[in-house]
Amino acid sequence: MKSWKGAALLAAALAAPAMAADQGVTDTEILLGEVEPLTGPPGLLGIAHNLGVRLALAEANAAGGVGGRTLKLVAEDDGYVTSRTIQSLRKLIGVDKVFALTAVSGSGQAVASIPVLKQSGIPTMIPIGPLPPLYEPPMDNVFVVGQSYTEGMHQLALFLAEKHPGAKWGVITQDDDYGAALREGIEQAKGEAQIEVAFETRYARGQKDFSSEMLRVKDAGVEVLIAGGIISENIAMVKEAEKLGITPAIATFWPGRVPEVLKAIGPASDGIYAVDYVAPIQSDAGQAFLELARKHLTEDEVARVNRYTMTGYTSTRLLIAAMQTCAEDLTWACTNQALADGPAVDTGVMAPAAFAGGRFTNSPVTIMQADYETLSYAPVD
Amino acid sequence: MNYLIELLVSGLAVGAVYGLIAMSFAIIFKATGLLNFAQGEMGMITAYVAFSIASATDGNPWLTAAGAIVFSVLFALAVERIVIRPMVDEPILARIMTTIGLAVIFRSGTMLVWDALPHDMGLAAGSALVDLGGVRVRGAQIGVVVALAVAVAAMLAFFRYSRFGIAMRAVASDDATARLMGVKTARVQQAAWGAAAVMSGIAGALFAIAWELSPSLYALGLKSFPATILGGLDSVVGSAFGGVVIGITENLVGGYLSPGLKEVAGFVIIIAILMVRPYGLFGEKRIERL
Repeated sequence: MKSWKGAALLAAALAAPAMAADQGVTDTEILLGEVEPLTGPPGLLGIAHNLGVRLALAEANAAGGVGGRTLKLVAEDDGYVTSRTIQSLRKLIGVDKVFALTAVSGSGQAVASIPVLKQSGIPTMIPIGPLPPLYEPPMDNVFVVGQSYTEGMHQLALFLAEKHPGAKWGVITQDDDYGAALREGIEQAKGEAQIEVAFETRYARGQKDFSSEMLRVKDAGVEVLIAGGIISENIAMVKEAEKLGITPAIATFWPGRVPEVLKAIGPASDGIYAVDYVAPIQSDAGQAFLELARKHLTEDEVARVNRYTMTGYTSTRLLIAAMQTCAEDLTWACTNQALADGPAVDTGVMAPAAFAGGRFTNSPVTIMQADYETLSYAPVD
Repeated sequence: MNYLIELLVSGLAVGAVYGLIAMSFAIIFKATGLLNFAQGEMGMITAYVAFSIASATDGNPWLTAAGAIVFSVLFALAVERIVIRPMVDEPILARIMTTIGLAVIFRSGTMLVWDALPHDMGLAAGSALVDLGGVRVRGAQIGVVVALAVAVAAMLAFFRYSRFGIAMRAVASDDATARLMGVKTARVQQAAWGAAAVMSGIAGALFAIAWELSPSLYALGLKSFPATILGGLDSVVGSAFGGVVIGITENLVGGYLSPGLKEVAGFVIIIAILMVRPYGLFGEKRIERL
């Protein structure tokens, strides 16, 4: 009899997460959590993202919160280290008992967190690193906002192939999942357009000197260069190209599409192509976003706003809209369903975002070109 | 031919950066028996201070250089006096762990004081392009090669002719005996920390001028440490040579074999040389390895 009772207690304890779906919700507040890099070089994206989430929460709280409850956020710094991401996730879910997650760090960290996310069932937004393993196959509680690196590269490569027919290409990518996604995008484009890659190489993450790579680019007569680095690597590649006196059409990707990169490169950054699903900060939509940010963030914080602030904001707006739908019955199950089926949220800085029954917004991308004089990007016709 | 020359010149420039930081590792080891794993971070902080001075002085190179050098010396003396000297009689592993802890603190501190963004140093002379017989280089790249040459010449003269240099060799040879002979070992160790900070600071600042300034600059320390091992842990001049060898080898491998192999090329050379000369190319046999 005693052992039967023990087994029943154990079963109840194991089932606890499913029954405690409304954790983090009290009569007066809703606690949300996120993990992101707030220190180290990747802090460039983590800090900006955090501002976007806080902006969305501040805006919602100013409008009365969700069902009269104030939204609060616990942000954990993982330093972009996967083991710390998992540790922070367990803390947020098990100790802080947050109701939902507004971010799970970068792409690699989020993919590594899949087992924890699946097991817990907590509503989770992924606005930073939208990799296919996060939405293919879809998970009930994981919602990816944006576009995959592969599709972004695919569209960028098709544009460049049309713009520079018959050109020799150079492709320099990182030797990790990010680089693999970019290479896959180019491979897809090769099936649809004529792309002749004259030089292709991969570099180890953290590499700082690209002089020999760029000499190979020069030697191969490259006319279109895919600079597949993140931030520092692209700066080094473009500055090397300037030093060598070569002027290929250079294309970069959205992780480094921030004005500081153009400033660090200098005049050689003028005309660099980029692809993104987020509006440039200098566009009308970007300026309207900055106006909104000024209402809720400090001057120093507004200075740190970039594209990651916009994706964090849009993603959190989607989550808040779902929670509003479920305000009377704020459970994980209801929120997950409302996220999947909810109407599109239009923040102006991205195309109207919705999951349309799925778990991925599949946001359309825009090709842009850098303007060094204004340290900005403008869409290419 | 021009392709080879361009590879050699680029390799020499980045090798000079490695060489200066490698010399910093070696001079502290020679004077104190300690490996300072915060050397790359100290160079990075000096580069950030140079950036702040350049921003405040409208890119005045002389004020920036003077201010950064003074800062690097004061910073190193403070670290040595406040953190390192109180641990002088502690086990070597504890002291090395302390420098690793300092490295983490310096990295986070840089983010707190400055930011995570990449920056241009704002020193036009350093980033200007110079044509050397058909090979284009940046002013800062010439600067770092000159700085390495000056540092090597200064170190050779220092150890051979100056009383202080001879005292440093005595401390390195036998700390206790040197103390009994009247050598002020604390002063010698301060001088080593100061000289190391200046060399790594110059390397960090010039690298940042030629490429970019960001909180990942500390990684230069990790790239330079193998050069110290290659040249010889207690050989300051040998470490400079090790840096140049690694820089040029990386570029030649990247240029003629595969760029993907350039990051491992230096380590292959190190393993090959250490198998033949475990104490490095110019190191003394008595070194105890950790």
